[in-house]
Amino acid sequence: MSTEQAVRGAIQTHSKRVWRFGLALSGASDVADDLLQATALRALEKHHQVTSYDRLDSWLMTICRSIWLNEIRARSVRKAQALSVTPEAELVAHGPDSETNIFAAQVFTQVMQLPEAQRETVMLVFVEGYSYREAAAMLDVPIGTIMSRLSNARQKLKTVMQHEAGDAVQRSGK
Amino acid sequence: MKFSDETLLAYLEGSLDEAEVHAIEAAVAEDTGLEARLMALDPFAPVVQQVFDDVPAEVPEIDLPAPTPQQYKSGPLRLLAVAASVAVIAVSATFWVTRPKALGWAEQAAIYQSLYSAETIADLDNSPQKLDAQFAQAEAQLGRPLNREVLENLPGLDLKRTQVLSFKGKPLVQVVFADAQGNPFAFCVIRQGPNAPSKAVNLAVLSGLSTATWAKDGYGYMLLGGDRETDLSGELHALTAAFAG
Repeated sequence: MSTEQAVRGAIQTHSKRVWRFGLALSGASDVADDLLQATALRALEKHHQVTSYDRLDSWLMTICRSIWLNEIRARSVRKAQALSVTPEAELVAHGPDSETNIFAAQVFTQVMQLPEAQRETVMLVFVEGYSYREAAAMLDVPIGTIMSRLSNARQKLKTVMQHEAGDAVQRSGK
Repeated sequence: MKFSDETLLAYLEGSLDEAEVHAIEAAVAEDTGLEARLMALDPFAPVVQQVFDDVPAEVPEIDLPAPTPQQYKSGPLRLLAVAASVAVIAVSATFWVTRPKALGWAEQAAIYQSLYSAETIADLDNSPQKLDAQFAQAEAQLGRPLNREVLENLPGLDLKRTQVLSFKGKPLVQVVFADAQGNPFAFCVIRQGPNAPSKAVNLAVLSGLSTATWAKDGYGYMLLGGDRETDLSGELHALTAAFAG
């Protein structure tokens, strides 16, 4: 398998993850579309640099983030750390249970309202399953920074989750 | 320093004082086993993961240029090379148009495993300390035990390494062995989620390797031999019994 084939394969395999990361960075589906497309083209251009097929997923994520930081975010109005508009909560899958859907939408919104540094860390670790040290390498920060960002994010997520737990107790007590 | 699960949970809940927080964060920076334990205990991660699991609902479309043909150096065979490259373009274009939608985890794992040679695994450090850390991390990621005593006692196989890979966001653990001749042999486990269908053992040659795959209770399993001729029956018997659910 050539590196180009490997990179093409990785782009197809990880397209959902890269798109999702693009959404977390930018807060907008259309920007996530652009970020995924730009990431795929950039990765193909750079396929010669690939020396190991082991972690092409994290390589794609890193490319996506660098395009966001260097080329797209500057153009965006949303220079503040937090997103000014919370993106489409309807992106969250709709199951048959409306209470579950409401909870999922609340968690989604809470994650998207986190400051950018916490948001990208939560996406990489909680959603994509990277370890703290992998996320630290991808975001180029110390592992302690990853852990404290996650601690701060947990404190904010806790309000939604505790509220939900309280509701569940109330419901079951009816 | 040892930390109990209760202390780690208190850290994750944000109820420890600053000194304890620093002690845990400093220890995690030095200890991948502790990192894996902490990650596995995190009650927030699975909730957030599930919410984002189906975002986006559809696989997004990407517009990629056609694959580039092989580059040929100029020389006496140049004309032939040009003709050949035209053929390569045609074949690549056909391949691209008719490419499979997406490879499944087993096909991808077989492609990856087929790149292993005896040299890849010859110098791996399989000291008990290394394996302890690798198993702790792999089991934490998978959320199930890997029956290490079974893996260590497979006849004719020497356990070399366990590593966590990822397929479409799902943890995929690869356990590599060396057979009596030093050739690579592998066992893979992927967490597919509680709704994944169970599948009976299926034998196939994938990427030139003899393989057996099965799925049970939300996990997929795959055994990969060193070549297309490898007889997997002995290992398969032990592993299907050990990983019956």
